[in-house]
Amino acid sequence: MTVKKKWTMIPGFLALAAAATLLSAYSGASSSQGLRVEQPVKFVHSPHVQKAGMNCLYCHSAAFKSPDPGNASVASCMGCHTIVKTGSPEIKKVAAFYAKGQPIPWNRVHKVPEYVHFPHMRHVNAGVTCQSCHGQIQNQGKQGPDTNYVPVQQVNSLNMGWCVNCHVQGYKPAEGARLAGEKVTPELEAMPAKKARYDCSTCHY
Amino acid sequence: MSTEAGTGVKRRDFLKILGATGATTALVGCSSEKVGKLIPYVTSPDNTVPGVSAYYATTCRECAAACGVLAEVRDGRPIKLEGNPEHPMNRGAICATGLSAMQGVYNPDRYRSPMVREGNALKPTTWDKALALLATKLGEVKSKGQGGNVVFVNQHETGTFPGFLDQWLSAQGMPAHLSVDSLAPAATIAANQKAYGAAWPALDFGSAKLIVSFGADFLDGWGHSVPQQLDWADARAKIENAPKLVYVGARRSLTGLNADQWIASKPGGEMAICAALVGQGTTAAASDASGVPVATIEALAAAVKQAGSGVMALCGVTTADAVECGAMVAEINKKAGSVGVTIKPANAHLGYSGLSTYADLAGAAAKMGAGSVPLAFVRGANPAHTMPKSAGFAAAFAKVGFKVSFSEMPDETTVLCDLVLPDNHWLESWGDALTTSGQLGLQQPTLDPVFDTKSTADVLIELAKKDQALAAKYNVVDYRNWYIGKFPGGVPAFTTALTKAVLLASPLVAATSRSGTVTASPAPALASTAGDYYVHVYPSAVLGDGRGANKPWLQELPDPVTKIAWQSWVEVHPSTFKKLGLREGQHLTVETASGKITAPVYQYMGVRPDTVAIALGRGHTAYGRFAQNIGVNAYDLLPHGWDASGTLALAASKGKVTVLAEVSQLATTEGSARQHGRGIGQAMTLAELLSGGADEHEHEIAGMPSQDFLPGLKSPIAADAQGDYANKDGKSTGMYDPKHPSGMEHRRWAMTIDLARCTGCSACVTACYSENNIATVGAPYQGRALSPSTWDERPGANIIKGREMAWIRLERYYEGNENTANEFSPDFDTRFVPMMCQHCGSAPCEPVCPVYATYHSPDGLNVQVYNRCVGTRYCSNNCPYKVRYFNWFGYGEPERKQYAWPEPMHWALNPDVTVRGKGVMEKCTFCVQRIREAEHRAKAEGRPLKADEFTTACAQACPSRAITFGDAADENWSVSKLAYDRRAYHVFEELNTYTAVVYLKKINHPAPAAPGKA
Repeated sequence: MTVKKKWTMIPGFLALAAAATLLSAYSGASSSQGLRVEQPVKFVHSPHVQKAGMNCLYCHSAAFKSPDPGNASVASCMGCHTIVKTGSPEIKKVAAFYAKGQPIPWNRVHKVPEYVHFPHMRHVNAGVTCQSCHGQIQNQGKQGPDTNYVPVQQVNSLNMGWCVNCHVQGYKPAEGARLAGEKVTPELEAMPAKKARYDCSTCHY
Repeated sequence: MSTEAGTGVKRRDFLKILGATGATTALVGCSSEKVGKLIPYVTSPDNTVPGVSAYYATTCRECAAACGVLAEVRDGRPIKLEGNPEHPMNRGAICATGLSAMQGVYNPDRYRSPMVREGNALKPTTWDKALALLATKLGEVKSKGQGGNVVFVNQHETGTFPGFLDQWLSAQGMPAHLSVDSLAPAATIAANQKAYGAAWPALDFGSAKLIVSFGADFLDGWGHSVPQQLDWADARAKIENAPKLVYVGARRSLTGLNADQWIASKPGGEMAICAALVGQGTTAAASDASGVPVATIEALAAAVKQAGSGVMALCGVTTADAVECGAMVAEINKKAGSVGVTIKPANAHLGYSGLSTYADLAGAAAKMGAGSVPLAFVRGANPAHTMPKSAGFAAAFAKVGFKVSFSEMPDETTVLCDLVLPDNHWLESWGDALTTSGQLGLQQPTLDPVFDTKSTADVLIELAKKDQALAAKYNVVDYRNWYIGKFPGGVPAFTTALTKAVLLASPLVAATSRSGTVTASPAPALASTAGDYYVHVYPSAVLGDGRGANKPWLQELPDPVTKIAWQSWVEVHPSTFKKLGLREGQHLTVETASGKITAPVYQYMGVRPDTVAIALGRGHTAYGRFAQNIGVNAYDLLPHGWDASGTLALAASKGKVTVLAEVSQLATTEGSARQHGRGIGQAMTLAELLSGGADEHEHEIAGMPSQDFLPGLKSPIAADAQGDYANKDGKSTGMYDPKHPSGMEHRRWAMTIDLARCTGCSACVTACYSENNIATVGAPYQGRALSPSTWDERPGANIIKGREMAWIRLERYYEGNENTANEFSPDFDTRFVPMMCQHCGSAPCEPVCPVYATYHSPDGLNVQVYNRCVGTRYCSNNCPYKVRYFNWFGYGEPERKQYAWPEPMHWALNPDVTVRGKGVMEKCTFCVQRIREAEHRAKAEGRPLKADEFTTACAQACPSRAITFGDAADENWSVSKLAYDRRAYHVFEELNTYTAVVYLKKINHPAPAAPGKA
């Protein structure tokens, strides 16, 4: 009797599992890869990086010294834009925020869950290029803010498997340089993959 | 293994099925979270890096000691306080009260704007209207020539503000303010003045051989707890030449539990013992008055004589003859020749100058009652709570023409006022305070005011500017500018001084001295009061007179002696308990001639059988959601009478005890007060240590094998990581590979806890709450639904259920006195054991987790991975130390009723630590976020970690320096040396858990005044 009763429980569990799977499919994947969010100002990275030749650290100034890379203050935007492109409707929005003494309420695109600690500086100082995680961010907004504007999107999944893959297999400097659009020198090609710790408490605490 | 007879699924099958379903549900994973905002600065402030803490030196104002603190500020908001290591007085240590200032500045019940009385209620108003109203009232008072009758009651503080205030008052034609502190040991101060010519001579614990404390709780409230505790612990750590402590009093307080001997004198009997010691009375008379055997008093006299100039006699009694008793105690020191040796009047602390007494306050209340006070100000003091009901303060206060409060929070006095001008919290204000070591500690704001509040000093300046006669005198923008204007050296000197927040100076303006003339209105003599039991009322070691009760960290911090939280209790000796036929938690009504209170009973063998003891601190009727309607106010029991110094006598009456039928469960974190031979808190005698004769691996459980372990360092897993057990043929050992580039396997994070230093003060517990975002669970709103319509609103309901979350707890065990229910004996030993996750090398919790949510990291941490945890609680069941805590409710989720950090309290959360959700297990992490932070810093600077370069939050705070943290595998760290101390042991070492926490045995000194010894 006990034996029979035991196995009758299995369909119940299977039904639960099926329901969970369905729910999972319905909720739409476990990553926000490809996420695109409209922003209060149609910011364009491309002209800043490629035309003006600005370094990422000009705005994200803490990326090499803090877990949080930081973002340009409205005052630093206005440092240039009181002179540059003052007539643009997007810049006028920035100027308006500055005049009111308000920050620009950017919508966050890249976010790891709260139980994950991602120290930017460890990655930046290890030579990992920004593009390795953030994709071809230097090309964002190439089209300009007017037509076919594409806001910053999350290119990679930022899932744990994606993180761990790099920590275990190692970061290849040549690959990072290629993504960043930098010249891939034979020296870079020769550099070994850079591995990192991957026990849970490296990131989860 | 399992029985066939049972129905349903066998364990093994259950796990198989669970595995299959688990695998499927795991796919659900983390769905995309709602993304938030990314708000940049409008203009970046200088010297800030987002995500990196800046530390600002300031001065703690939670008590009169004024320790130096560093406020850890992250992105513009302080998130934690730490002791300032460069401060000469507290040398990096901080107490639970100081740490809890974070919950004061972010308290959700603070006033959010000025308030004005409209009918029966206080209604929000604007600063312009509030100040205009007050200016009008001031004008009226002055035009009627009643300025001389105005009363300003201020909390006692040192530094420049009292002088500034007196200047302002005198410019307005008003008398100097009353500087009140109901916890200040005013009787001792008066006696010291008389005997030594100094209010508070420096106490040199290091030179003492024998300390005799007559109710002076120097570790829990009397004087300046943090520096005293540092000095005491340092002196006791000398072990061989450690000072011995004899505690004389009716109740064994925390200080008493740290004593080598307790002489259980009747309340009021201390005076006769002192008299016998200085030869002004006979031992027989002393024995009569105190109930202490003649032989003990003689032995004490002999011990005092033997200690010579190494005697340090301290008086903290609170009876009506406290000043006379203090003078007699001073006589003991003088006779022993210890004045100038252990008691140093030459290095006196000036922090108590200008202190007003209870009698002064009573005088002001009498004037109010007579209707002659047109205007009264109250700031930081709460006389409606800290004066006994018999004083009739509320009724007298009601007769004041116009009542103004500067309180940050609604409290019993403020709710009676007509106008509230909420002050800034001290973390939001400029100021200064005198430290015990004679320096002036500077205080700077660490954030902009959280709410629409203004610093009182600024308000006073604004009011003066509204008055044409005074405007010229106060021609400054604010108090800060006024202060810098007076500062020697001006702006540059001020800016330099701020970086350390300490300088050698006296207050910039002196306060008007208040003569201490006290009209005698002594409390009735104790012996003459009627009743069966002495009623011993004492300030709570955690909440003081009640000023800490609005902070959940302090409400939840178990009392160091009784381990009760969120409740008031009446302490009764077990023999009395048996005689009265009581049950644990049964309600007792204690009634004196002045009033009565009812609270559950707690058996405590550290109180005389003829005495009942009740702590102050609770019983608020208005003080915010965390204080209101919790416990009883023991001030109600006290008669409106004072001693020769004008201090309210706390131990002043006898009372009647009535047993009620009602029983409440005690909200206690104590399982058993006894160790039952488990050897958790171990001790050895000095003789054993010196002779080396004690078997260090002796086991208290007979028959258990003795492991020849190496303390601290090696364990199966750590040793394996170092290659000792490695499979030489194996290809990969993964992250445990000794050649792994991270080098982690060469580390073994470990901790030593010196029980010879630990006093049980529990500062470590609150430090851990602050650092690790630990939820408090005992507030009435955090109970649970008993049915859809009823809620368990007992304060501490979750603690009664054993659901407290303290990652580190202070266990307190008694040794000896087994027959305490039948007879009274003052001889028992107390062991304080800070207990947290032991980070076992071979951890019982790890193999039982079905989802690998807990594992051993290569550097020796037992890690809990919150996002893996599914809440089976197997780990907690298998943990022999019971240090894993489960989130039964969504304490960390704002949308849930039990949320522990109502806005803006969550501003103090540590962004480096995950806030745990419902259904997740958590425990001590060895402050892994601090380890990581230090590793990041070292990496950025391109160097290896330096020995002792960082420590855990508990070790940082510890005012007895009992906790040491570090890498036991690296001999440069202090911990690696301490782990090999002769006193080292592991708790439950017979379980072969190979813990990373090494305890150093307490040293038991023989009772200094044991009869028959002399």
